[in-house]
Amino acid sequence: MAETVLQTVALRRTFGPLIAVDNLDLSVEKQQFYGFLGPNGAGKSTTIKMLTGLLRPTSGEVHILGRNLASDSVEIKRRIGVVPEGLSLFERLTGAQLLNFVARMYGLSRATAAERSAELLEFMDLKDSADKLVADYSHGMKKKTALAAAVIHGPEILFLDEPFEGVDAIAATTLKRLLQRFVARGGTVFLTSHVLEVVERLCSHIGIIQTGRLVASGSLEELRSGVKVAGHDHSPLTLEEIFLQVVGGARQDAEVLSWL
Amino acid sequence: MRLRWQLLVNSLRRPGRRAELGLQILWFLMGASLVLGGGIGFFFGAFGLLRIGRGDLLDLLLWAIFLIWQFAPILFEGYSPGLNFREVARYPVSFRVMFFLSAAYGVSDPAAIACLFWLLSFWLGLAVARPEWAIIAVPALLLFAVLNLFLSRIVVGLFERFQSTRKGRERMVLVMFLFLILMNVVQMNATRLATKRGFKLPPWVNQALTSIRDFSPPGMALHTFLFTGLSALWSFAGLLLAALFLFLLLRKQLRRVYQGEIYAEAYKVRREMKIHQGWRFPLIDDVTAAIVEKELRYIRQTFRLVLQVLYPPIIFLILAFNTPGWTRLFAGRPQSLLAGTAAFMLMSVPNLSYNVFGMDKEGFGRWLLSPPPLRKVLMAKNLTHGGLLAGLYLLVVVVVQVLTGVGLVPVLTVTVGFFAVLVIQLCAGNIVSVHWPKRIELTRMNSRMASNAAGLASLVVMMPLSAIIAIVILVSHYWQLPWLPLLCGAVILAASLKLYSYVLDWAARYTWEHLEEITGNLGA
Repeated sequence: MAETVLQTVALRRTFGPLIAVDNLDLSVEKQQFYGFLGPNGAGKSTTIKMLTGLLRPTSGEVHILGRNLASDSVEIKRRIGVVPEGLSLFERLTGAQLLNFVARMYGLSRATAAERSAELLEFMDLKDSADKLVADYSHGMKKKTALAAAVIHGPEILFLDEPFEGVDAIAATTLKRLLQRFVARGGTVFLTSHVLEVVERLCSHIGIIQTGRLVASGSLEELRSGVKVAGHDHSPLTLEEIFLQVVGGARQDAEVLSWL
Repeated sequence: MRLRWQLLVNSLRRPGRRAELGLQILWFLMGASLVLGGGIGFFFGAFGLLRIGRGDLLDLLLWAIFLIWQFAPILFEGYSPGLNFREVARYPVSFRVMFFLSAAYGVSDPAAIACLFWLLSFWLGLAVARPEWAIIAVPALLLFAVLNLFLSRIVVGLFERFQSTRKGRERMVLVMFLFLILMNVVQMNATRLATKRGFKLPPWVNQALTSIRDFSPPGMALHTFLFTGLSALWSFAGLLLAALFLFLLLRKQLRRVYQGEIYAEAYKVRREMKIHQGWRFPLIDDVTAAIVEKELRYIRQTFRLVLQVLYPPIIFLILAFNTPGWTRLFAGRPQSLLAGTAAFMLMSVPNLSYNVFGMDKEGFGRWLLSPPPLRKVLMAKNLTHGGLLAGLYLLVVVVVQVLTGVGLVPVLTVTVGFFAVLVIQLCAGNIVSVHWPKRIELTRMNSRMASNAAGLASLVVMMPLSAIIAIVILVSHYWQLPWLPLLCGAVILAASLKLYSYVLDWAARYTWEHLEEITGNLGA
């Protein structure tokens, strides 16, 4: 039986009267490439923040690599890598200084930190901008830097919040290559994304959240078999069709702004 | 005005900002008293000078207004939320509207409001003393105000442009630093020479000063109503020309912003990538060293902080080497000079340590994602700031020791006192930093280094401490107990270290319990 590396039990987060995440029970196994989908405001980012210690849950539990996040956060943080929503970069450092700094924060020696920083800058095609301030980077370059910072210490699980948002095709290919290699070597990825084609191509398992509740979860095949679309032929359903069916579909033409 | 008001109202939506507003009102009342007092001074200054028949000196009052209007927004940080006009240019506004907005925004700057009020007081003084000037002075003073407004907008624009690049910031540190030192050297020497009997300025200096006074905006504004006939007309024309020139300059500057000029340094691509290993410091572990390195790199890019940190020891050195009677000064009570320098240095702590996450902005989240506990992060930040000040202080101690051979006990007493106050200041800094965090924009002139609460907290900390120090010194003198200050200093230092450890735990806990508020305020 595969090892469960991420599990949430009745995870809940409220902001005043608003319930952002409601009794979420998630389970992700080792070496899964888990795509966490949902419409805007469904609770994806809130969930990933709670999973990575950036936000305290109102109630419920998070277990990562068999440990409770509330009581064992330091050990968990050592073993996970995160690309958060706002990227959380120190923008007044250069790309090289930032990676070096992050590596040392994870306890890597000065020599190893410098060596891995160089390798990652080379891999991410950032070596020509290594001594440029992160503040002066383009959005795609910042995303690549954030991903490099997330993997520099060799984590076991990666949490990525919208890693492909605002990234050009070349940078996206680099990121995908890195993530696929990471999973192939035994890592687990938990990502949120709006780009359904990318999720469909990369992810082995998918969870769909709507108004804070998990409304569908499983492998792509399991989702396909569980969703029926009226008038659809016998070709396999795309993730977009499944997604729209689960969360309620798109607006009809008549509903679109008449003046536009 | 409406825009500034809206920015203020919106900023209150964030938690903790209401308390900030209360403090802001307190600061406003203090500032308003200062402005009102200044107004009374300008009224009686103008009135008095005319009454004693020294109308030719009125330009000195206008000089004061001119210098405050131009330098106050640069030397002191803004006291209200700011607006970046590069963002305004994104909206469908015509250039004319944008120009008008920029000028109107400049009028609502606190320094501009104060200067306009003083100018009005000055005019009232004129009108009461010489009613025949009341009307004729109006266009000259109005033009003088417009000229000041244009110039201040140009100066702020230029400084923002410098601040937007790393190189620009570094150059600005150097220029401001040299300027401040030069001002101090000039001021000290001028005071010395002025008190010298029979001293007179060389004729060429006098002539140059007269020319500057005559052809400067304050001089030309004054001559418009002080002189009559053609001379007055020439002065008005000169003032008008200067205002027109500044208008065109501001127009050119804003036009560039309107057309989307982006201030960014040209970047030279390196052929070889060089990754340096991180810094290492004696006696501290690698994680702490990494945080200290990051903090020092950030401080190096903040010219105001660099200035504030370096200014006290530099002034001390100037005092030590520039005063002819320095041997006398040192021979008398060198420990007093040392204590004064220490106190001066401690005044820069609030700017360094009362908003420790402010410069991290979005990067704040990185501290939460990384394994080192927040207690360690805070301690490393404090170590950087405290270490920097302690290093500079010890440098001053060495200079004093070499120059005067002052006894060990006085030096030790001042040093123990310095470290005790430093640790207490760092404690207060940690509390304020997590309670009232404030996002700092390095590229904006009006971004303050800490919240309004920080200034008040610093006063709350320093006032009782100063009282305790004063009492200890008085008791030690009265009862002839020379060892008492050292003993008290050591006790306070021990107590402050214990307090520091407690505050670190509290601040880390508080941060976790108020993550959303803090990240919201820092924009992380």
